[in-house]
Amino acid sequence: MTVVLGAGVDESVISVLPARGAQRKRRRGLRVLMFPITFAIVAALWEGYKVVGPQNGGKILGWKLLPRAGSREMPHVWDMVSRLTRPENGPNSQTIGIVVAKAAFYSFRVALLAFVLGVVIGMVLAILMTRFKFFERALMPYLVISQTVPIVGIAPVLVFILAAWSRNLGDQKWIAASLLGAFLAFFPITIGGLRGLKSASPESIELMDSYAASWWMTLVKLRLPSAAPYLAPAMRVAGAAAVVGVVVSEISVKINQGIGELVALYGQQATNDPAKLFTAVFGAAILGLVMSALVASMEKLMLRSRPVTA
Amino acid sequence: MSAVEVAQVSKVFNLGTADQVDALVDIDLTVEQGEFVSLIGPSGCGKSTLLRLIADLIEPTSGTVLMNAKPAHQARLDQDYGMAFQQSGLFEWRNVQKNIELPLELKGWDKPTRRARSLEMLELVKLGQFAKHMPWQLSGGMQQRVAIARSLAANPPLLLMDEPFGALDEMTREHMQTELLRIRKETGTTIIFVTHSIPEAVYLSDRVVVMSPRPGRITAVVDVVLGSDRTEDTREDEQFYDRITEVREALRGAEMGSAPLGIEDR
Repeated sequence: MTVVLGAGVDESVISVLPARGAQRKRRRGLRVLMFPITFAIVAALWEGYKVVGPQNGGKILGWKLLPRAGSREMPHVWDMVSRLTRPENGPNSQTIGIVVAKAAFYSFRVALLAFVLGVVIGMVLAILMTRFKFFERALMPYLVISQTVPIVGIAPVLVFILAAWSRNLGDQKWIAASLLGAFLAFFPITIGGLRGLKSASPESIELMDSYAASWWMTLVKLRLPSAAPYLAPAMRVAGAAAVVGVVVSEISVKINQGIGELVALYGQQATNDPAKLFTAVFGAAILGLVMSALVASMEKLMLRSRPVTA
Repeated sequence: MSAVEVAQVSKVFNLGTADQVDALVDIDLTVEQGEFVSLIGPSGCGKSTLLRLIADLIEPTSGTVLMNAKPAHQARLDQDYGMAFQQSGLFEWRNVQKNIELPLELKGWDKPTRRARSLEMLELVKLGQFAKHMPWQLSGGMQQRVAIARSLAANPPLLLMDEPFGALDEMTREHMQTELLRIRKETGTTIIFVTHSIPEAVYLSDRVVVMSPRPGRITAVVDVVLGSDRTEDTREDEQFYDRITEVREALRGAEMGSAPLGIEDR
C-alpha cells in the first residue's frame, strides 16, 4: 500500500483506472465476436455430422453414435434460414419469419411482465422476511415446496381458477402464462434478495443506528444497495425462469399467439416441413437471448459504480 | 455540564443463561467538553461495549449514560455524536462526497446545503480534489479520512471512535493521529477513542482510561500532561515515554503481574 503523506494525494491508485478501462473495452470487443464464431462452429458441426456420421449408427471408442440423419431429421442450416423468408402455409400466407417474430414478441411481452412481477413479488417477500424473522421461518418451507411443483400441472389449475373470475378468459389466457412465469421467477429473487439484504456489515448497521435512521431509511440507503450484487445474478436466473415459465405454460394452456404454442404446432408439421420447426426454435432462442441481454444491461446499470472486481 | 457522564453502568450479556458474561461492572466515567479520552485495555475488557453504551447502540443493564445532561437515547435521536469504526464503513456505491452527505440526508438537509457542507468537510480532511472518487479508489488512510469527515459532517459536539486506525500501517497511522489532533483543534470536538495501542492512546489523549477484563472495569486513569500542541516531535519527548510507561504499568497492574494480552507495545 502506498503511504499517504502531506495532502494525501495518492496518484498510483488513480492512474491504474484508465488502463483497466481500455482492457475491458478490448475484452468486450472479443465478446461481441464470440457469438458469430460459436454460431459458425455449431453450424459446421451440424453440417459435418450430416456428411461424416455413420450411415447406420455405430460406436467410436465405446461411445454410441446415432445413425446419420437425413434432411428430414436434421435439415440443412441454410434450409432453416431460408425457410424464414418463405410463406408459412399456402402461397398467400404470411412470411414465416414475420409469423415467428410476432409470436416471439408476443411471448416476450408476457415474459417481461412475468419477470417484473417476479422481481416485485420476490423482493417484497425478501424484505418482509428480513423485517420479520417469524415470516422467514413460516414461509420459507412453502416457497421451497412451491418450486418443486411441476408448472405443467399448475397451469391448467390456474386457468380454471382465472376462468371462474373472468367469463371471457379466451383472450386473456396470457395472464395465466405471465403469472406462471412470475411463479418461477420470484424464487431466485427472494433467495438472492434475502442474502443480499442481510449482507450489510454489522458496523454499517450500527452506523445507521447511530444516525437514529428508521428501519425504512436503513433499507433504502443501506440494505437495498448492499443487496444489488446478490440481486444481479438472481435476476439472470429469474429472467431465464420467466421465459421458460411463459413458453411452457403457453403450450400447456394453448395460447395460440405465443412462440411456445408455435413450436408445438410446427412440431406436428415437422414430418412434411422439418425446417419449419427450427424456425420456431430460433424464435424461442432469440426470445431468450433478448431477455438475457435486457437483464444484463439492467445488471450493468445496478452495479455501475461498484469496484471493477465485483 | 459534562460532555459525557457514565454513572454506575453495568452490562451483562446473555443474562440468566449459561453463557452469561459480565461485560462491564460499575463503570463511572465523566468526560468534559473538548476533552480527548482514550479507552485502552486487552481484548474482552469491554472498551468497545462501553463506547456502544455511550452511543446508545446497546442499553446498559443498570446505570445511566448522559450526554450533555441528556439521556443517551435522546442524544442519539438528536444525532449529538458522530461515530467512526475500524473498517471505514464507507458505502461502496456512493462516491466520497455522497458518503459524507449520508448523515445530512438523514437529517433532512437540502441538497445545496449538503453539497457545501461536504466540500467543507473534504477540505478539513485535505481530500478536496477527491469528492467524486469512489471509496475503493482510495487508500486505507484516505478512506479513514472520509469516514472522519462523515462522522463530523453534521457538526456533532462529540466523536466516538472505535479503533479507527487499527487497520492502517504504522506510518499512515502516525500521520492520521497528527491529522486527528489538528481536526480536533479546528473543530473543538470532544473525542472518546478506543484503541489497544499504548503510544497511540498517550499521543492523542488528555486522559487514558485503563480497563481490564473479566469482569470489564476501569482500573486506572492516567493523566497525560503533554500540553495541547503536540507534533511529531512529541513522540520523542521524554514526557511521552514516561506516560507510556505509566499506562503500561497500569495495564500490568490490572492483569496482576502477568503481561497483558492483546496490547500493542509499539
